[in-house]
Amino acid sequence: MAISTLAHRALEREGLGSIRDAVLSGRRIGDEDALRLLASKDLAALGALANHVREARHGDLAFYNRNVHLNPTNVCVASCKFCSFARKEGETASPGYTMTLDEAVEKVLSRRPLGITEVHMVAGLHPTLEWEYYPELIRRIHAAWPELTIKAFTAIEIHFWAEKYGKSYEQVLRELQAAGLVTMPGGGAEIFAPRVRRKICDDKATADQWIEIHRVAHRLGIRTNATMLYGHIERLDERVDHMRRLRELQDETHGFQVFIPLAFHPEHNMIGQAWSKPTGIDTLRTLAVSRLYLDNFDHIKAYWVSAGERLAQTSLAFGVDDLDGTVLDEKIFKMAGSTVPSALSETKFHALIRAAGRVPAERDSLYNVLHVHNA
Amino acid sequence: MRKLRTAAVSYFNTYPLTAGLRDSQLIELLKANPAGCAAMLESGEADLALVPIGAVAGKDYELVPGLALGCDGPVETVLLVGERPPQEWDELFLDTASRTSVVLARLVLDALGVHPKYTPLDSSESVARAVGTKGAHVIGNRAFDAKKPVMLDLGREWSRLTGLPFVFAVWAARPGVITPDVVAELTRGAQVGLGMRTELAQQFARENGGDPERYRRYLTQRMRYAVGPYEQTAMETFLAMAAEKGYLPPTTLRFAADRLVTRRTRRPVPVEATLQKGADGGRLDADELERLDEAAPLLELGLAADARRRALHPDGVVTYIVSRNVNYTNVCTTACHFCAFYRPRGHAEAYVLTREQLAQKIDDTVKAGGIELLLQGGLDPDLSIEWYEELFRWVKQGWPRIALHALSPEEIWFIARESGLTLDATIQRLVAAGLDSIPGGGAEVLDDEVRRRIAPLKCSTDEWLAVMRAAHRRGLKSTATLMFGVGEEPRHRANHFLRLRELQDETKGFTAFICWPFQSENTRLTASDTSAVAYLRTTALARLALDNIPNFQASWVTMGGGVAQASLHMGNNDFGSVMMEENVVSAAGTTFEMDAAEVERHIRDAGFTPMRRNMRYERLPSTTPSLSPTGGEGQGEGAPSACPSA
Repeated sequence: MAISTLAHRALEREGLGSIRDAVLSGRRIGDEDALRLLASKDLAALGALANHVREARHGDLAFYNRNVHLNPTNVCVASCKFCSFARKEGETASPGYTMTLDEAVEKVLSRRPLGITEVHMVAGLHPTLEWEYYPELIRRIHAAWPELTIKAFTAIEIHFWAEKYGKSYEQVLRELQAAGLVTMPGGGAEIFAPRVRRKICDDKATADQWIEIHRVAHRLGIRTNATMLYGHIERLDERVDHMRRLRELQDETHGFQVFIPLAFHPEHNMIGQAWSKPTGIDTLRTLAVSRLYLDNFDHIKAYWVSAGERLAQTSLAFGVDDLDGTVLDEKIFKMAGSTVPSALSETKFHALIRAAGRVPAERDSLYNVLHVHNA
Repeated sequence: MRKLRTAAVSYFNTYPLTAGLRDSQLIELLKANPAGCAAMLESGEADLALVPIGAVAGKDYELVPGLALGCDGPVETVLLVGERPPQEWDELFLDTASRTSVVLARLVLDALGVHPKYTPLDSSESVARAVGTKGAHVIGNRAFDAKKPVMLDLGREWSRLTGLPFVFAVWAARPGVITPDVVAELTRGAQVGLGMRTELAQQFARENGGDPERYRRYLTQRMRYAVGPYEQTAMETFLAMAAEKGYLPPTTLRFAADRLVTRRTRRPVPVEATLQKGADGGRLDADELERLDEAAPLLELGLAADARRRALHPDGVVTYIVSRNVNYTNVCTTACHFCAFYRPRGHAEAYVLTREQLAQKIDDTVKAGGIELLLQGGLDPDLSIEWYEELFRWVKQGWPRIALHALSPEEIWFIARESGLTLDATIQRLVAAGLDSIPGGGAEVLDDEVRRRIAPLKCSTDEWLAVMRAAHRRGLKSTATLMFGVGEEPRHRANHFLRLRELQDETKGFTAFICWPFQSENTRLTASDTSAVAYLRTTALARLALDNIPNFQASWVTMGGGVAQASLHMGNNDFGSVMMEENVVSAAGTTFEMDAAEVERHIRDAGFTPMRRNMRYERLPSTTPSLSPTGGEGQGEGAPSACPSA
């Protein structure tokens, strides 16, 4: 498969000929290459190259699923400076919440008529809840609604509980898996570089711990996602470093399903007062470069709740093959100032995807295709 | 083909709808009074008729979209008259020639709490008998001469009651009769007739006596001939109120389809070779543009357009301007289906800005470093060319350094028509008063097949271009726009580009092209594809098509900063305006905000060098204070020639 003469010439002009040749012949590109691509000034040419890889893997399919978000608590001991969601226990000005098991299960079950296939569940690092709350929550949801896939808890929570309740990562994950956890979201990765982590999220799991937890999960057969929070104080080489560590673990385990770069949203949090939000073009560039660099990841996702409908749709030409889900009840980005609608109907989703010249394909949590919606 | 037997009222106010049909090959006109028209349609004596709105109640008729006979506020020819206030009337003589105005009279009196005895009686006798506690209902030409101590204008009363215009009569027929050809012919007739209202008034005065100027004002300022969203709502409201009272049977309005499909034979076009041709600066024809529109992948279009942008603007500079968009009035008579901004005259939200309000806005603009005032508004028949001249002189006197980028072709066309001046004379006077350049708004899609459907009484493609030609010849520069996503097809967009390109070859007067998607919230028109990808594709395609228009402006106001940045890599070389106000687009959907610092950050992040420009797209010396965040609160409008409509 080739790229057009126009794209060839543009890449040549930008001095990206060697990277283009590597990509077209299926060779892995290096960290330096990724850095040059991130700094490249020709967006359309970069897109054409990423699109080539994307179409070679997935043709015109654009994946999404039907999911509901559940955040059983936003009480959190961590103080991540980019977060607008968390509250401290006992905070009175804007108090946090913690659902009882009954409330949480009821909340999920109430969505049953909507035909969703996945619950996406993450929580704060709660200082006083008992360990049993978490496996029990999963167990109850699973018992009440066995067909629903449970995608739950980030490495940050796993690490926190392992320390708090004196368990190994493996013990924590095994107990959750036994309760019904199938797959894990990729949150909490932020940027792996210690310089950045010290400044923005000093008191939560380190990069090594995050990586180790995903390694263990993969070994236990739990497929996971990987994220990157970009556009705050990190440098471009630190984005590449982040992706490199993910690519290395993926070479080892093949347990990651998808890479999800997330643009930093500045409203209502501590970084936002000092830093402006990355501009939209950064989103398209980062997605395209991740498609080219992460050659061992099957999927690249533009999380539309974060990127907005327009950029998410556009990104389908920039290497992206997954737009996340119809997402009911999203809270974390909303509280950080995202203004996109809180849920997109499936019809709207299909229209957006088709208008981008792609074919909507509903998937399950493990990326099995459930239904290809040919027009 | 047999002509359609078409019944129409012979009242003066219907002349603009019928005068242009006298030599029609499709329509044969038969004259009758309103009730007569309805009867002829009912009996089959007529195939098509201009019937009172009340006569369609309970019937299975289809209506011609876009055209009607109505008013917006006072109408002067549908009156209730008497010697005492209506509250004291115990009997009202009703002119049964029009059932609609009978029902209107009753609804208005019901609302006033007046319930006289109703007695049918022709206007010819009733006026004389409306004495003491008796009132009379007078309609038509006779109402011009009615003189009584108490005169209730039913147009004004209805407007007070509902805030809506009123529709008296519509073209109706049995289902299937009103083909797209018929709609086209009736619309053509109306456009001709509306263009000769001055002559019609003079003719009427000659035949019946009276003041021709008064008649002209009646036709231009009292009567309305367009059906847009408000008029449609008005018809539905009237029928619903009448049905509720039992005056008329319940009705659902049905408009005939008016899509006229004319397809030319197309030759096969290879996509990749055509993209290359466009990228190399080759001139693309309609077949090639249509094919690329349908089949070229987004990024390939983008790469080809980017090659054009690089050829035309090789130094990587992206310009922007600091200006303010002021909409001097939202009163408009064009009734475009896609517009959420305009209000009928009697509406609670209708406004015309005062000098104090304008002064405040201009002062703010100057303080924020603004150098341009984009002044656009609705078509308000109460404003004459003198009003505009005075306004422009006042602006130039108070703020001599502010450039006036004002009045889209639709407004200039309207001012010329209302003032009885030629286009050239109108433009000359406006320029003498201070007009510097013209925004390219109101182009929508320059294809009459589309225009007729979305804005039947808006100026035609030829008229829009005629204004631009006249302006360019006078040395004025203008922009050109496209509003896509109103259900147009690739061939319509191709026509749009070709018509602009043709005029540009002739005049070189367009400085820039701007496109943006139709925003459908609060309107009755359903949008087609208005997504970000459609925006980027349209931008790129336009860059390839319009090889002779130098600048392309991004619409970040409708698309957001990210998509606008991407568009800089697919043909655009200008980031529009930091504007402190925008009303038209934001009335119909989401818009984005940015101040000048934020605009510059977006341009830099996208890999370009930001530079301020003036209205003629001349770059300003770098000594211009680079923008600090004091550049205004920046509610922008990337399509600065804002008016989707005016």
